[in-house]
Amino acid sequence: MLSTIPAAGPPRDAVVPMPVERVLDNGLRVVAFSQRNLPLVAAQLVVRCGGAAEHEDEAGLAALVAALLTQGTVERGATELAAATDALGARLDAASGYDATIVSASATTPAFPHVFALLDEVVRRPAFAPREVERVRTKSLSDLTLTYANPSALARLVSHRVGYGGAPYGHPVAGTAASLAALGRERVAWFHERFYRPDDAVLVLGGDLTTDEAFALAERVLGDWRAPSTPLDPRPDAPIPPSRARVVIVDKPDAGRTAVNVGRITIPRRSPDYYAALVASAVLSGYSGRLNQEIRVKRGLSYGAGAALPARRMPGLFTATTLVDHTRAAEAVEVTLATVASLSTEPASDDDLVTRKATLVGGFYRAIETIDGIAGSVTEHVLYEVPLGELQRYTQAVGAVDAASVRAFAERSLIPDAFVVLVGDAAKFADAIMQVHADVRVIPFDALDLGSPALGG
Amino acid sequence: MTALPTIAASAIDVAPLRYVDHTLPNGLRAILVPDPRVPSVAINVAYRVGGKDDPPERSGFAHLFEHLMFKGTSGTAPETIDRLTEDVGGYNNAFTSEDITNYYEVVPSNHLERLLWAEADRLASLDVNAENFATEREVVIGEYDQRILAEPYGMLDELVNREAYAVHPYRRGVIGDPAQLNAASLDDVVAFHATYYRPDNAVVVVAGDLDPDAALRTIERWFGTIPTPNTPVPRVHAVEPEQRAERVFVYRAANVPLPAAEEVYHIPAASHPDAAALDVLETLLGSGRSSRLYTSLVYRKQVATSAYASADLREHPGLFGLRVTCARGVALDTARAALAEEIERVVAEPPDAAELERVRTQIASSLVRSRQTNSGISLALVRAVTERGDPEVVNGDLARYLAVSADDVLRVARTYLRPENRTVVEYLPA
Repeated sequence: MLSTIPAAGPPRDAVVPMPVERVLDNGLRVVAFSQRNLPLVAAQLVVRCGGAAEHEDEAGLAALVAALLTQGTVERGATELAAATDALGARLDAASGYDATIVSASATTPAFPHVFALLDEVVRRPAFAPREVERVRTKSLSDLTLTYANPSALARLVSHRVGYGGAPYGHPVAGTAASLAALGRERVAWFHERFYRPDDAVLVLGGDLTTDEAFALAERVLGDWRAPSTPLDPRPDAPIPPSRARVVIVDKPDAGRTAVNVGRITIPRRSPDYYAALVASAVLSGYSGRLNQEIRVKRGLSYGAGAALPARRMPGLFTATTLVDHTRAAEAVEVTLATVASLSTEPASDDDLVTRKATLVGGFYRAIETIDGIAGSVTEHVLYEVPLGELQRYTQAVGAVDAASVRAFAERSLIPDAFVVLVGDAAKFADAIMQVHADVRVIPFDALDLGSPALGG
Repeated sequence: MTALPTIAASAIDVAPLRYVDHTLPNGLRAILVPDPRVPSVAINVAYRVGGKDDPPERSGFAHLFEHLMFKGTSGTAPETIDRLTEDVGGYNNAFTSEDITNYYEVVPSNHLERLLWAEADRLASLDVNAENFATEREVVIGEYDQRILAEPYGMLDELVNREAYAVHPYRRGVIGDPAQLNAASLDDVVAFHATYYRPDNAVVVVAGDLDPDAALRTIERWFGTIPTPNTPVPRVHAVEPEQRAERVFVYRAANVPLPAAEEVYHIPAASHPDAAALDVLETLLGSGRSSRLYTSLVYRKQVATSAYASADLREHPGLFGLRVTCARGVALDTARAALAEEIERVVAEPPDAAELERVRTQIASSLVRSRQTNSGISLALVRAVTERGDPEVVNGDLARYLAVSADDVLRVARTYLRPENRTVVEYLPA
């Protein structure tokens, strides 16, 4: 033993770059920041349409459009685009979530203006060549096969359906085999024409340049992007079904282990409760979090367990997840439910919260260590209509959360009527679960239909 | 059509890393990189012991030991390191590779001394008892079940190492064998700690918001009194004999959604002069959407859902791997035939100037990106010291990549990508 542990020195504060914003004449909102420690620049163009904007029967359309942007423009084909991007040592990607499609570009300072021109090209002049549509669709189908083979990934998709039913976040953003089969070039072009417009988009641009240089670059490259005269589509807002305690089991005898999800629909990102929700989730998550302590450390049920609360425009899906041996799945369900409920029965003290809040603040500072990370944090604020000033006040906002608000949030929004989803070999655990829970549904894997709000079967 | 813009790799500026490198009288090496951008530090403590050093019939031991290092010391409770990191907003973890076991922490910089103390403490006075040994062994076997058995293709890496090496202990992989772990005793564990966990087998690298002189004094204070045994550290001297004929293995498993194959070729160690050209070859063949494998197999022929290359350079001779996962409905033979065409092409002719410049720019850009985080910087130094024997190589790599010529790429492709130097593992649905 080496005497006693030395004391910590006085802390130093981190500096978060302050974003500045301006709206171009065409309605494009530009948010710029400057961070000049390394020769790197990043941009994220946020087009405010994602999977939530697509029709239930066309699940996967927004993602298909996003994937096709970088697969050829009217000026050059997919291979030339990839070669051009790599020749710049740059990254150029487009991806779709529920709330938005984000086209991102980053590169070293001398290469950035070139890749930014390519970003403009893929956003405004994608070719959607029929050959590419077919190729990307085939690739998406292959990817679905891989997703469905992974119990944790499949449980996540099923949890969205169980929580949201037919509401906009219910269907899988990657689509289903049936929905992808029905999509073609015409629908892709329609979606792009309708939703990709400067007056419903935000450009986040920053790194090794001044904010004035960032605005000038945005104006030069995207200033002549014209908004259509048609009005903006209303944001999707279908009602989310009320929470209902129940268990849904997807019987997949060939799964290696059983994935367990406890889920509940909670709050949108812009809710005043968001920081209390983050702290509640942090109490459950991480190596020292309650889930891992109960599931891994005390009982050895799994290699890991955690909780997540994704930021969303509409109320997001909270999940507590783990992956266990089939024969211990019933036990894992009860431990996970009880651990989430412990936020009420054994509420965290203000002292406990000091450490969980430090975890959140530390994670935030690490996220902003990189240019892409800063751009991502700015984008989150922009996308979910959170004032940009909150970026500077993250530490204070988390710090202001007290034990009473964490408990009250959990009792209101996490614990009541939570549902359970399992994907695994049901023969090894379903009976044990039915002895404890009244509302249990078993769906054979072959009968599962993620395209149906009721999951088929 | 507007002209395709390009930039030269040489236009990218990667500032050299400035560090202090000092070896204590007890043999502990300390490397300190001051970088005050964010008020945090990344601490790495690497021990030169990995999967290849596992005792005979104790495969997975180095990795099991990595877990035991979190179980407390004679003066501290289990999970002290977790408290000292997570509770102040940092994190910690560790990994075991074929060659090293690396423990790392990222914390606010005012906590640096506390973590250096804790690292020295667990080196000097680790407390392993029958109880925590048994629990942690269960956790490790759980990790095996989750990462190797449950994850699609989780077993493929294990199979590749097992079949590619005939003699060298790299054939046993890192995660190990649950049966052999179950056979291990507490005495085995205590002996392992005494053998490998000693100051002259460790390197401490810290990058971030620090004063190098003050940090060095702290390291001397806490690590300097830990004695070094008189006996030498045992080293692996096994030499893999040259492979003289292609080896092909077919495995079937339930957890294989789409047929896949990995083809690996023996390559020299990370310190070999061909390493830079092999990295260039890796990027040329298999990194990014403009790489040859993606363009041909995934994009043009659509026979694969993914295809990539990896130059797995290690302390001892490693493997150059080509991994292909079939597209839905495509037979593995079809995908492998497309892969074979690309291998034939790369050994037939050198890349043209534009393609080579593109690859160099990709590599130079990813070097810049890796310098954004303290953890990226400190891990690069750990790998430089343990795999290549010299921290300064981190500052020469860019020049070495820029010096790789088209003829060098052709030469290494011809030297190593020979059929008789190849081991193939086909992995098919049961």
